[in-house]
Amino acid sequence: MAETRTFDYMPAGPGDLQVDRDDPLHGELLKLNMGPQHPATHGVLRLQMVLDGERIVSCDPVVGYLHRGKEKSAESLGWRKFFPHTDRLDYVQPLLNNIAYARALESLAGVEVPQRAQEVRVLLMELSRIMAHLIYLGTTAIDLGAVALFFMTFTEREKTYELLDAYTGHRMNNTYIRMGGVYADLDEDTARAIRTWVEAFPAKIDEFEAMLTGNAIWYGRNKNVGVLSRADCLDLGLTGPNLRGSGEEWDLRKTEPYSGYETYDFDVPVGTVGDCYDRYLVRIEEMRQSAKICLQALDRLEKSKGGEFLLEDRRYVLPPRSSVQTSMEELIHQFKIVTDMRLPRGTAYSCVESSKGELGFMLASDGTARPLRCHVRAPGLLNVQAIPRVAEGRLFSDMVAIIGSLDFVMGEVDR
Amino acid sequence: MVIVKRKTLTLAERLYLPEILRGLSITFRKMFQPKVTRQYPEEPLPTNEVTRGQPRLRELTEGHLACVSCGLCEAACPAYAITIDGQETDRFIEREPERFEIDMLRCILCGFCEEACPKEAIFMSTELELAGFTRESFKYGIDKLKRSTEELAPRMEYIKRINERW
Repeated sequence: MAETRTFDYMPAGPGDLQVDRDDPLHGELLKLNMGPQHPATHGVLRLQMVLDGERIVSCDPVVGYLHRGKEKSAESLGWRKFFPHTDRLDYVQPLLNNIAYARALESLAGVEVPQRAQEVRVLLMELSRIMAHLIYLGTTAIDLGAVALFFMTFTEREKTYELLDAYTGHRMNNTYIRMGGVYADLDEDTARAIRTWVEAFPAKIDEFEAMLTGNAIWYGRNKNVGVLSRADCLDLGLTGPNLRGSGEEWDLRKTEPYSGYETYDFDVPVGTVGDCYDRYLVRIEEMRQSAKICLQALDRLEKSKGGEFLLEDRRYVLPPRSSVQTSMEELIHQFKIVTDMRLPRGTAYSCVESSKGELGFMLASDGTARPLRCHVRAPGLLNVQAIPRVAEGRLFSDMVAIIGSLDFVMGEVDR
Repeated sequence: MVIVKRKTLTLAERLYLPEILRGLSITFRKMFQPKVTRQYPEEPLPTNEVTRGQPRLRELTEGHLACVSCGLCEAACPAYAITIDGQETDRFIEREPERFEIDMLRCILCGFCEEACPKEAIFMSTELELAGFTRESFKYGIDKLKRSTEELAPRMEYIKRINERW
């Protein structure tokens, strides 16, 4: 006998739930908290779920466990000092966040970045994208039981850490991008090491694909799971691989090119169905394309050797070290920029295509040394938003595949 | 635009048993490949002049720092880790820090102090490991931060080189 019951823990929904009391499998609804300490939630995401047997009746993501007030911090720190904080937003791709923030500052100040700096930035952005997708691939695979692949992707990621270590001196949280360019030029040895790694990388992707794409378990757990239609994606404001997996060709590198992306030769992979499997295929293909862009950027860097990598602008960029010690004016500039760098009054929004989607910084300036408001348009938050849409009505075990394939980092979601 | 190709499983893949054998063969082959694990505390990470470790103060002459306590590193520090109290001195640089304290628990090794310093007085060393029993022990004073010019010379050269812009 079907009976209508309301539960005190039931989230607001379209109506009361029909529960068949006689069916032993549909007796009671179960409230289940997944996270914030669950390894499959990729951080501190908490999912409040109501389960009917194994089926998810409703799902309510709770965010905020990693909230550190980054946006507010920017208001007291000032323009320059916020750079290290951007590293800690999406901590699997620190340099990409640096670049996104630097671009917002540059558009606010109305300055152009030199050619060579653009090329270094493109190289770093694509390396960061590969690094982030490697994390996605490894963690999603280990959540679904493919333990060996996790170690293989992290071995590759370790190599990218070493490359960044050789360039920036840090493995994570690099903070090497400055307004108007990059802090240091990419030296030849590091460029050669990056080239060696990037050239060998497509073979590694083949190796990953051999383990996953045709694997019956991976196939079964991802195919037709977490289907997001194109309209759903647009409603929810999803961008990046999640949107492309659903068949919409939208990539900021193509639609609103920045840093000279319009001159690079690459393709935008697009899925057809919009399930977890499509999103996986899109990310795999994106890694191949990123490797391709890396090689093109390295070729250009070879040609532009000796070019300027930092803007010559005494309003925003620190003067070279040797002149600071000999010239009084340069010393004054050094002091002014470090302590009291002012940006013109106005607002600026600037976005880049991060590995998760459109990563944007909205800066409002009142002409002082500190931002009036700094807003981060984090793609991860919108990806979290999509969880209830795809999870409700699905099996509980699909949740892990869905969380993995939507790919968010809580550092960026909570900020 | 390139539309990703969705695979349909072949018969062998669907049967699953051949796949298990294939997986085992990968595992077996991996046994003969070089090991990638680094035994960290026993095998420390290689460091060089690029490494951005903990900040250290340069000694200009025996017992005296190059620092003139201008406070620019303090102003540049995004983590508010540096505290400086200056005083006057009879030496030719006229000012020196009375107290120079870096809270190593706050320090995020970003290198902004090194970038800001106009006197080449603070540099990122290759020292990375940090351990202690009390919070107070992480507040490094001048005695703990002081390093000779020779020790910091490779990093000094490196910073000079990467800042040569034209």
